[in-house]
Amino acid sequence: MKKVIIMRHLKYLLLIVASIVTFSMPLAAQKEVLPIDSSEVIAVNPDSVAVSATEAPMEANINVGDSLVEFLDGTGFAMIARNWKILVMLLISFLLLYLAIVKKFEPLLLLPIAFGMMLTNLPGAGLFTPDLFANGTVHWEQFAHAGLLDYLYLGVKLGIYPCLIFIGVGAMTDFGPLIANPKSLLLGAAAQIGIFATYLGAIALGFLPHEAASIGIIGGADGPTAIFLTSKLAPELLGPIAVAAYSYMALVPVIQPPIMRALTTKKERAITMKQLRSVSKAEKIVFPIMVAVIVSLLLPAAAPLIGCLMLGNLMRESGVVERLSKTVQNELMNITTIFLGITVGATATADAFLNMKTLMILGMGIIAFGFGSAGGVLLAKFMNLFSKDKINPLIGSAGVSAVPMAARVSQVVGQEENPGNFLLMHAMGPNVAGVIGSAVAAGILLSMLG
Amino acid sequence: MILLEINWTNALNITLLGFGIVFVVLCLLILLLYIFGKVMTPKVRVPKAVRTPKGAKVEISDDTEFHKVQLPANASAAIAMALHLYYSDVHDQDSHVITIKKVERRYSPWSAKIYGINNLVR
Repeated sequence: MKKVIIMRHLKYLLLIVASIVTFSMPLAAQKEVLPIDSSEVIAVNPDSVAVSATEAPMEANINVGDSLVEFLDGTGFAMIARNWKILVMLLISFLLLYLAIVKKFEPLLLLPIAFGMMLTNLPGAGLFTPDLFANGTVHWEQFAHAGLLDYLYLGVKLGIYPCLIFIGVGAMTDFGPLIANPKSLLLGAAAQIGIFATYLGAIALGFLPHEAASIGIIGGADGPTAIFLTSKLAPELLGPIAVAAYSYMALVPVIQPPIMRALTTKKERAITMKQLRSVSKAEKIVFPIMVAVIVSLLLPAAAPLIGCLMLGNLMRESGVVERLSKTVQNELMNITTIFLGITVGATATADAFLNMKTLMILGMGIIAFGFGSAGGVLLAKFMNLFSKDKINPLIGSAGVSAVPMAARVSQVVGQEENPGNFLLMHAMGPNVAGVIGSAVAAGILLSMLG
Repeated sequence: MILLEINWTNALNITLLGFGIVFVVLCLLILLLYIFGKVMTPKVRVPKAVRTPKGAKVEISDDTEFHKVQLPANASAAIAMALHLYYSDVHDQDSHVITIKKVERRYSPWSAKIYGINNLVR
């Protein structure tokens, strides 16, 4: 009796297996014929993986050859073979890793960005799902299928990481040279012309206004600001814009000197500036509070960036929270940099990165840097027409943020003409003014286009 | 053709307005910093007249040597560095004996001579 029941069950089981195999064959054949979209390859639904895993024992009766072919077909190598763009993206990530490790191009950020780029382009891994952030909104209802990088990316999407980094930047910045020479703020403002000139250029190339603004902000030479604005206005361009911003920031010593030499005479480059006045501790303490209140009241959209920058600076200057100041300068900044780098790199999927837009962004980025540097130098020359105490125009180029690299470039180029000339502290004024200026520009663009 | 389709009025408005606002905001900060500097800069009060040891009052004018003193940048930097080293305790207190370090031996039964001698006696 038992034997009959078992035989009957076995019969049903075989029937079910046979029907599954019969139905799945045409589907498999269809899948082979259809060209696979790269976004499908990258954004593998973990549920579908789980389902196929549970079905695996039922397909155990299929011959070894078929199973092996199916297994090989499911590997990342097969997916790469079907979509060449993934291979190109992996090669680009390797190139960026090379630049970060061997050439030391902004390694603190380029290394995590490159690794994030590599991780997101590993087909089938499902670490990052761009669909969760499609159309500029977070699709919370789909977060059950999110990968590791999706969760970390929320920090970028919600504008948390750039602000945390700004707290650290503020804690590491000495605004003393700026307080001692407030005219530096004008040079910082002039250097923002790179942002707005590039905005016009990007519009002329056919970009939409919000995309053009995100591309223009590369000219501010401020990574966190660029990421903050782009994540709000054009998140689909985050990968190329972040890569362009950080790559060009690393290339400041290459990009700026020819522009500085072309726009100045030998005599101008040799100008020695008057020593800066001393700045009292009280001034340094009141400065961040005053700037945070005034700028935030004038431009509420810039409040997150300026507020965090000035909070970090107040921690430094007040001297009463040394532990907090050290933490934001080191641990908090480093942890946020890791998360920011990996997740920004993760947005550089094959579809988002390998297109003409990326090439145009890279091209516009270098123009933005050039315009910004030139704007600062030219305004310094213009100010010299009226001012009694001459300004060395070389410090104008430091008005693009890139702290402290741009100020160092002014010092080096200045010493080529006059080895006894120390421009570093004078250049730090426009340099930190550039940080405030680019945050203000980002706030303006956000309020106009956001 | 693409260039003609673009709304240049909007683009130029955003550019000029945006750049203008950046300038206005930063100029406002410059103004505040100047006022701020005037109010908060530590002022060195120069007396208008001093009394000589004999009790005679001497007026100090701009030609007096006192006003002509201006330290060169190198000297200021050296003084600043010395003060920094002094206040952050980086520099040793010079005791005019730079080859011999003073070593304070604190009493401890583990290193006391008396116990050492006793041990040897045993």
